[in-house]
Amino acid sequence: MKNIAFSFTNESISYNSLLAIDSITLEIKEGEKIALLGKSGSGKSTLLKRMYELQEEKSSYIPQELGLVNNLSVFHNVYISQLDSNSLFYNIRNLIMPVKNEISNISNILSKLLLEDKIFIKSQNLSGGQKQRVAIARALYSQKKILLADEPVSALDEYLSKKVVNILSTSYETVICTLHNVDLALENFDRVIGLKNGKLLLDKRCEDLTQEDRENLYHAVE
Amino acid sequence: MQLSKNTKVSFLFLFVGIISFIFADFSISTLEPFLELKKFSFAIFQIDFSQTTKLFPALFNTISIAILAMFFATIFGFLLALAFENFFVRISLAFTRAIHELFWALIFLQIFGLNTLTALLAITIPYSAILAKVYAEILQEHDSFPKELKGKSKVSYYVYTKIPDALPHLISYTFYRFECALRSTAILGFVGITTLGYYLSSSFMQGYYNEVWLLLILFYIVIATIRFWLTKYSVGFIVLASFFYLEEFPSIKIDNFIRFITSDIIPHPIRTNAGYEKTFEWFSNIFTNEILIGVFNTILLTQIALVLTAILALISFPFISLKFTNKFGRAIAHMFLVVLRSTPEYIIAYIFLQMFGPSMLPAALALMLHNGAIIAFLMGQQTNELNLRQDVTKKKNELYFYEVLPRIYSQFLAFLFYRWEIIMRESAILGILGVATLGFFIDSAIADFRLDKMMLLLVITAMLNIAIDMISRKTRNYLKVEQSITSCGCDLK
Repeated sequence: MKNIAFSFTNESISYNSLLAIDSITLEIKEGEKIALLGKSGSGKSTLLKRMYELQEEKSSYIPQELGLVNNLSVFHNVYISQLDSNSLFYNIRNLIMPVKNEISNISNILSKLLLEDKIFIKSQNLSGGQKQRVAIARALYSQKKILLADEPVSALDEYLSKKVVNILSTSYETVICTLHNVDLALENFDRVIGLKNGKLLLDKRCEDLTQEDRENLYHAVE
Repeated sequence: MQLSKNTKVSFLFLFVGIISFIFADFSISTLEPFLELKKFSFAIFQIDFSQTTKLFPALFNTISIAILAMFFATIFGFLLALAFENFFVRISLAFTRAIHELFWALIFLQIFGLNTLTALLAITIPYSAILAKVYAEILQEHDSFPKELKGKSKVSYYVYTKIPDALPHLISYTFYRFECALRSTAILGFVGITTLGYYLSSSFMQGYYNEVWLLLILFYIVIATIRFWLTKYSVGFIVLASFFYLEEFPSIKIDNFIRFITSDIIPHPIRTNAGYEKTFEWFSNIFTNEILIGVFNTILLTQIALVLTAILALISFPFISLKFTNKFGRAIAHMFLVVLRSTPEYIIAYIFLQMFGPSMLPAALALMLHNGAIIAFLMGQQTNELNLRQDVTKKKNELYFYEVLPRIYSQFLAFLFYRWEIIMRESAILGILGVATLGFFIDSAIADFRLDKMMLLLVITAMLNIAIDMISRKTRNYLKVEQSITSCGCDLK
């Protein structure tokens, strides 16, 4: 029996008197790979952020706005996720003169994301898709057990999307990832949760989905 | 008739400026002012460049002091910026900023005498306070990294997320401040420290106008080429070289300092225990004879200078704008504005004073020329970024009044209000040249060695400045002009 990673009972979240999540009840176990589907404004991001707040220590979080430091190189942006694991002295040294060991670790991750040639380019000089992959590399480098990713492949083409989602779903024990592509979700995850107007629309394992569920999902993300 | 907020505020300031003008003394007291002006102007054609090496000490001294002062001010400024949230730090810095570097020099002259240390402190102290404020603002504006992602090692995250994004802005502001430091150091010469101002005033007194021009031109060259000689590769060497160039640091006389703090600046009646009544008499005497007059004249000069600055800026910005002037015209206008921008108000005022004699005229002209040039320059830049439609009018006057001015008027007001406090600070200091603003009374108090009175007047000057700063911020909020400034507004603060 696996441990429970997240558990919500009648959870409601509101921003400025606007109800973003409306009495949702759900349970997520460790080891599950979950796709969170829904239109923009359906409450996906809110739910994901809430999960991050609950398990900050154990999880890597990729926000939609990525949160890169524009004036830092790709290398340093990725390294940021390891700041807490090293001493201040080591961090400052690595900022001024990148440490060999870190370079090789980070370029390994970047090469999986087809980004290793950009390692010492400032992130402000990258395209939208490249920036997104830097944020993904940063999450991967944090080496946490849970991944909470908010639309991590929205700016990538089909080929890269598949590749990246595959890397993400296999690199973490537990994955919760918001997406707007139903097919991508069904191929790479074992459970889908559909949200609509802050309410739970559907919550099933992929193999249990009926044709009607699928149609509902397509409707829900359009 | 419905008037916009911009129009209302503009008319109010224009009105105050005109009223001030009525009260102000704008007389010319020299016998043949224009003859002297002509002589001075034509001396530019008699420059003897073989004299250049003779003037190197003046330049090197000025540069070395400015470099070292900025070196320390950058460090202190940055550390203080980190503590800027603290209320006590903010108040103390506002007070420190409000006192002009020339006043600081006058204070340290009393303690340490005429030497390099006095010059260094006079620049370092107010500049640390200014840098702290602007650094704090820049650091606050540059925080794109999401809060949720920040971990426990606060300092590491600060260094990796805030500093890199803010760094280019911090550096560009520091460069601008260094340019200001050069100007400030130059005018310290007017109180006797051997920087540019010292050589300038002695050449002037002797009537060697061509030497004055040569000094000014060398100074412009130094300022215009900062970017080339002060780079990340040379900065270390230049700081060290400056340190060794200024070898004669006096031993600090701590006794003098203690005496200054504990005795000299304490009001005389309190120091001698003369009782409450004497103290009140001391204060009310200074209040009616000096503070009231000084404050009144300082405000008068400030408001006149503000209106004149606005007029000059409005007239001259088209000459550097792509929308109005061709390439050749722009180049010439640029040169004029750069020269006016680079010449400290104090030097311009000093030159006019020699021509016209003591009245508000030299001071007002100087403030107008220097500040007007700065604002015209910024406005010209703003107009270059405007996208006007293809079929826009070809008539220059219609273009000016109907298309360009309405679009940049808010920015213009913002620029003007940012300079307001600076104009006020300069108005006070120009009193040293003989206009009865606060600086005049401070200077005379020092001449009479009444340092207690000097301190009181300095405090009043600082408070007046802080008050203007607050009114200016209120006005900017009322007009909502803050958001119309797209750059960091570096040249304004």
